[in-house]
Amino acid sequence: MTADRILDIENLVKHFPTKRGVVRAVDDISLFVASGDTLGLVGESGSGKTTTAQCVVGIYPPTSGRIAFEGNPIDVAFSRRPKELKRKIRIVFQDPGSSLNPKRTIKQILSVPLKVHGIGTPRDRLGIMSRLLETVELPPTEYLYKHPQSIGGGEKQMVAIARALATNPRFVVLDEPTSALDVSVQGKIINLLMRLGEELDLTYLFITHDLSLMRNVATRVAIMYLGKLCEIARTEEFFRSPKHPYTRMLLSSIPVVTDQEESLKPEKIVSRGEIPSPVDVPPGCSFHLRCPERMPICSDVDPAMRAMDDGRFVRCHLYEPG
Amino acid sequence: MSEPLLDVVDLHVGFRIFEGYLSVLNGVRLAVDAGERVGLVGETGCGKTTTVKSILRVLPMPPARVTGGRIDYRGRDVLTMRRREVQALRRRELTAIFQDPLQSLNPVFTIGTQLRDIVRDSAVGQGTRLSRRAVEARCIDALRETGMPDAERIMTNYPIQLSGGMRQRVCIAEALSTNARLLLADEPTTNLDVTIQDQILRKLDALVDEHNASVVMITHSMGVVRDLTQRANIMYAGSIVETGETRKLLEDPKHPYTQGLMASVPKLTGEGISEGIPGRIPNYLDPPGGCRFHPRCVHRMEICSVEPPPFFEIGNAHRAACYLYQEET
Repeated sequence: MTADRILDIENLVKHFPTKRGVVRAVDDISLFVASGDTLGLVGESGSGKTTTAQCVVGIYPPTSGRIAFEGNPIDVAFSRRPKELKRKIRIVFQDPGSSLNPKRTIKQILSVPLKVHGIGTPRDRLGIMSRLLETVELPPTEYLYKHPQSIGGGEKQMVAIARALATNPRFVVLDEPTSALDVSVQGKIINLLMRLGEELDLTYLFITHDLSLMRNVATRVAIMYLGKLCEIARTEEFFRSPKHPYTRMLLSSIPVVTDQEESLKPEKIVSRGEIPSPVDVPPGCSFHLRCPERMPICSDVDPAMRAMDDGRFVRCHLYEPG
Repeated sequence: MSEPLLDVVDLHVGFRIFEGYLSVLNGVRLAVDAGERVGLVGETGCGKTTTVKSILRVLPMPPARVTGGRIDYRGRDVLTMRRREVQALRRRELTAIFQDPLQSLNPVFTIGTQLRDIVRDSAVGQGTRLSRRAVEARCIDALRETGMPDAERIMTNYPIQLSGGMRQRVCIAEALSTNARLLLADEPTTNLDVTIQDQILRKLDALVDEHNASVVMITHSMGVVRDLTQRANIMYAGSIVETGETRKLLEDPKHPYTQGLMASVPKLTGEGISEGIPGRIPNYLDPPGGCRFHPRCVHRMEICSVEPPPFFEIGNAHRAACYLYQEET
């Protein structure tokens, strides 16, 4: 069972103490990613999806809980992580405009991971970089000596992907890789990522707030709300019959473009209320203030994550046995 | 049929910058009837916001320059009005909601101060002077209408004390408190989460119904346009390429750009995503001649690079600016 799990997160907690109180960015989540899978982590802003990813990559050490990669615990500070781990786990950020150094050429940007990890001799690095650009479908002769600002947003994101792939990773975290881009460009990037995933045998943790996109790329979907997971399921089952009330609210709120899609949405659940601040999380189930199926127990007891028959996990009192 | 409320005819707007002349709007045509909801859809940098700002006449000139066309509002050209008349128009008839409420609300004044100013000023514009109590009552009503739970408290708050959804509600309250006839909503929900977007759009929809206003909804989301508008206009690189009844247009897009766009939108049916549209939006310093879409178009013909296409009727008020439909007229 655990053999094919490339990433295993158990009871991960990340709190940020601030002057106004403790921000519970990630509050006790457990999930695993199987090798070769694409796990879609979906949630609204402030739900803690980026913090989760950053704990995996090592940008923050977790407050408590365990993260294991290929069976080995990796929940130490970034400076104490073995370099080999940094080679295997890579990240692509949301906004390529700010994740690429504007003063460097693309060649300089791509050479950093190669130098750090000692890949190739200085002489054959140019060849490696050209091949990297070719894998992301950018002609190297044209792009190697350009600066990020002189290329389009989609192309910048391609460069960011090439940089992530430079160290031949096993696991790539994609933190909203297409949210800053237009839909006509998004298609190309997504298809490229999916093709590379298969060719290079990559496992993705794909973070997004776009459920329609998730339907097309993820093999499993996890929904986050206020630092906690609501539901994890395989993509088809997830979209066929969403269980958690929040998931249903989310699905019924997305604007769609065809009648066929409209018929796939669950019955309309009127969205109400605001997302509470993660500093001041409501007691009990954090969603109960906005929940259409609230019960008395919801405001007192926080439900536990429960495994259902079909490999699905739901965290809601509606599905408690008895 | 009566004349349209707003009629933008062949509008050309450009910007003079250091590198040369950016010709952004290239013959925009847009008509809005009274009580109608019109969508304006396009990707980043296609000139949606420039169009709105031209209609409101808030484009800084220079660098902006209107080089041709008319913007008729109830039969009068906004572009040739005197400043006083434009101000009167903005007080009484037009109103706008912008994308980023943090930028359209003043951070150093409370919501109450800003809202009261608007209500008082627009009342003066409409020829009435309101008592202080009446102003206060109207402000609170306007906030309540948008579904704000605790309007009295919100009035004493500063914009940073509110969440994104609340701020946008304040902007909607400000826009609708003046009983304007035409609302220009420029990406009002782009910065918001989907469940909040859903709330705001539903509220906006209901309020517009109640006030019997016309709306120009500017967005890059096809889904939002489908839910909220009757007629959609697809914009590419400074001109409208296709217009028609929203549902029909989205179901059966005719212009190659619209087709490419619709294929790129990820769908819930999970059939995968198309490769998108090759290339990118043209450089406005030196836009391609003829149809501005022709370098990216798969159906490119010889005439496309020579002469910009006029609108060809496809039937039922559905028009596309593409030579593919030439025979059918």
